Amino acid sequence: MINILSGVQSTAAALDAERTRLDVISENIANANTTHGPDGKPYQRQVVMFESALQQAMNGGQATPTLRVAGIEKDQRPFETVYAPGNPDADAHGMVAMPNVNIQEEMADMISASRSFEANLAVVKNARDMAMQVLAIGKH
Amino acid sequence: MIPLTAIQPLMSAHGISPGEKITPSLPVMPADQPGALAPAQPSGDSFSTMLGRMVGEVNGKQINASETVNNLQAGGDVPLHQAVIAMEEANVSFQLMVEVRNKLLDAYQEIMKMQV
Repeated sequence: MINILSGVQSTAAALDAERTRLDVISENIANANTTHGPDGKPYQRQVVMFESALQQAMNGGQATPTLRVAGIEKDQRPFETVYAPGNPDADAHGMVAMPNVNIQEEMADMISASRSFEANLAVVKNARDMAMQVLAIGKH
Repeated sequence: MIPLTAIQPLMSAHGISPGEKITPSLPVMPADQPGALAPAQPSGDSFSTMLGRMVGEVNGKQINASETVNNLQAGGDVPLHQAVIAMEEANVSFQLMVEVRNKLLDAYQEIMKMQV
């Protein structure tokens, strides 16, 4: 198989991983005020774990280093409690446990993830431009 | 992969190194003739076989790209970037094929212009 855009396999995996990270961040932001999950507890912030892996080429060639999402773990930080006696989820003292999601932290994470995504897109664009420039070698 | 490795020994034969500025000139043309490429083939494949395989691979990439896009539009589990990368790969390999065809035609016309 012709490898036209070299290095793009690992970049595609990175784009996949960053997209998963952005999905998880959007889930965190969406549930920043969810005090009642399916298990009756407040929403627990989720974190994406990346790991590097070797991807075997389809034609049995050399394995290329790439990355994948190892898993989505729950953030174990304690919930913040606020006084809201009107909330149905409030305990006997009128305290409600809020999700351990910090909007500012999520926004910073989102910037980081979207910048990483952008960097990988730049790699794809560069690989494509290089291939097109090489094809223009013989042009008069 | 195959056409590029076949050209490498020719590049060094013409004294082309990555650092140098390559000027397209007529003496490079004979390198694209079938006879000039044949000795570089380790398996002894003919040039037409090689070309046919290349066209087949380009076709495969085109099919793969259209399948990925179809899958994406049908709501399949295909990320957007994968479809775009597949399309780009198909586009670049098609350009490579067109470039090889142009070179072959140039070489043919060069020979036809020869005085007998």
